[in-house]
Amino acid sequence: MNAESVLKGFRKEFGSKIKDITIQKVPNSLKKKLFAERIWFSVGRKHLHSAVEYLCRTYPDPHFAVCSGYDTGKEIELLYHFTVNYGVRAGEITITMRVMLPKNDLQTDTITDLIPGAIISEREMQEMLGIKVKDIPDSRRLFLDDTFPRGVFPWRKDETGPDKIARNVHAARKGGMK
Amino acid sequence: MKPEDNTYSICVGPVHPALKEPVKLNMQIDGEKVTGVDFELSQVHRGIEWAATRRNPIQVLFLAERICGICNMSHMISFSRAVESIGGIEVPPRAHYIRVIGAELERIHSHILWAGVAAHELGFDSLMHYTWKLRENVLDTVEYITGNRITKGLITIGGVRHDIPKKKFPRIIDTAHFYSSHFDKMADMFLKDRVIMSRTRDVGVLSKRDALTTCAVGPTARASGVKKDVRKDEAYAAYQDLDVEPVLPDAYTGEIHGDVYDRVLVRLLEVKQSAEIIERAVRQMPEGPIAWEEKPAALLAKLKPLAGDGIGRHEAPRGEVIHYVRMTGEEHPYAWKVRAPTYNNMMAWVPLLMNEQIADIPVIAASIDPCMSCTNRAVKAGTNDVIYSKEHLHRLSVQKTRELRRKMK
Amino acid sequence: MKAKALNRSLWVFHVNTGSCNGCDIEIVAAMTPRYDLERFGIKLVGSPRHADVLLVTGPVTRDMKKKLKLIYDQTPDPKVVMSVGNCGNSTGVFYESYNIEGPIDRIVPVDIYVAGCPPRPEAIIDGVVKAWKKLEEMKKK
Repeated sequence: MNAESVLKGFRKEFGSKIKDITIQKVPNSLKKKLFAERIWFSVGRKHLHSAVEYLCRTYPDPHFAVCSGYDTGKEIELLYHFTVNYGVRAGEITITMRVMLPKNDLQTDTITDLIPGAIISEREMQEMLGIKVKDIPDSRRLFLDDTFPRGVFPWRKDETGPDKIARNVHAARKGGMK
Repeated sequence: MKPEDNTYSICVGPVHPALKEPVKLNMQIDGEKVTGVDFELSQVHRGIEWAATRRNPIQVLFLAERICGICNMSHMISFSRAVESIGGIEVPPRAHYIRVIGAELERIHSHILWAGVAAHELGFDSLMHYTWKLRENVLDTVEYITGNRITKGLITIGGVRHDIPKKKFPRIIDTAHFYSSHFDKMADMFLKDRVIMSRTRDVGVLSKRDALTTCAVGPTARASGVKKDVRKDEAYAAYQDLDVEPVLPDAYTGEIHGDVYDRVLVRLLEVKQSAEIIERAVRQMPEGPIAWEEKPAALLAKLKPLAGDGIGRHEAPRGEVIHYVRMTGEEHPYAWKVRAPTYNNMMAWVPLLMNEQIADIPVIAASIDPCMSCTNRAVKAGTNDVIYSKEHLHRLSVQKTRELRRKMK
Repeated sequence: MKAKALNRSLWVFHVNTGSCNGCDIEIVAAMTPRYDLERFGIKLVGSPRHADVLLVTGPVTRDMKKKLKLIYDQTPDPKVVMSVGNCGNSTGVFYESYNIEGPIDRIVPVDIYVAGCPPRPEAIIDGVVKAWKKLEEMKKK
């Protein structure tokens, strides 16, 4: 199994629904020249759940590493990082699915029905980026305590970002953050 | 009677004396049995990922080091690997070997530290003091190589910051021998003691299925029979020359239970394995440069134009660390996401603690080697009827050990 | 009451307010055989109500601010507060954040500062000795 064959399966199943495909090879200077492969592609949020479902069906027990996300300005981009084919020397392939969510409709589907371990990441996405995960089994806060102001999302770069409550300890001594 | 009629909540943390970190666990208890587990993680959230978007990559490197005091190098390696994969930066072979030596020294210190904590949770304080005494040897060697006991500052993007000259090799090999030769004694004390055995065997069982669905990593997953070790799966750095194999408990006992005993066993075996890796890495280390660019200012100038996404992975003592970095050709990274092993392993607490006794909570909770500052964040309690402090729980745990010991005499 | 508090060895309570663990493991290292603070009868206790010295580490996160104050109030007088590590002294590398309320001396009065990232066990022992002296002085007053 290599990155090409994994991608081939995805192309066959999803056709033009997956876009911006890149395969990244981590450089290596040692004699054996073994390298890890990383696949990146975008998928529409409507198809995210079926893409994860396909992944679980084709490669039993994919490892869900984490979901990262960031603010691109008009949209929020979520990146679901999976790894498959572990247990084989230098055979593990990291698959990252990007999902774009427009800021006026920040909703996505839960994947906890397929991978229960994803719940921590989904709760984190909700509190850090202010998105809504549909049908999430547990939507309480996790990393932020209850006294943290509502409506402030630490990873956002717009007016809902943390800049207004952030504090520079050294600047505060001289009289306010600049 | 309905189950909720006679259940009550107990609260562990957030400030408790055994684990040295704020943690809050909320458990529903029916008699002596745990029937529900919940946790909340906000005590150690420092906003590191946000702070990183206001600093340059070399500053972020040292911020990454301070995510966790125990596995600090793992975060430096992961962040460096993420940036290296964005820029296609080739790390010189010698630097790969120095990274591996540093990472394995860190694994020895972390696992032995954990073994001490586990002994303390069981009430064997003399064993805890003995293991921590053993641990000082590796800290001395780390100080000998890097100049500091805990935060090593050894890694830079594209290589390492200090070389290990040849005259320092004998001392490193001595340390490796020290831990290989003490393995039997450690195994005797931890694995053959009848009281420890009865406190840990078939206690806190994590089945292979549960380990897979909760996405557990590191020794927690390996003790349940999941062959997952980034050192083999990605064969990065010098690990590809050293042919590292994941350690499973059946290598020693011939069977896999997935219980606390197996998690102790896997960690002890990994100490031995790390000692062997260090010795081989020192002997095989090639000559050559130690960094892609040694001068920090020049390195920074070369890093500035980088743009793209990168993932850096590393097998930390507790399991896989993964960093996602996005650079956009500016001075600061645009986004940075840190995923520490405890983040995944915490989910395993739910199947682990279910239906176990109150007195077993401390040792089971500790058995995944939780690291809250890594996870950025900790576990919460409702306050219905009774609140036990962590100290009270620890006392219960110690009592159970003493009773067992009396019975065995 | 004040005078009686020092008729025995120093008891220490450790609070982590969001530190990275580096200082915390060095505190434990100071207690274990190589450095062995316990030979002076100094030991870590499980409750602030038994403590003479509060060892505080970490830059104080939003969530821990109230808890730190509570622990400080629970500790009986006379007491000495020790800030261990650069994070606690000046918030260190976490100087800029949305979730940090520190350094420690903005939340509770600090008597002894131990510098280092993390401080060596020797430095922590030195700090505890200074705390001891300070308690002696308090006792005289």
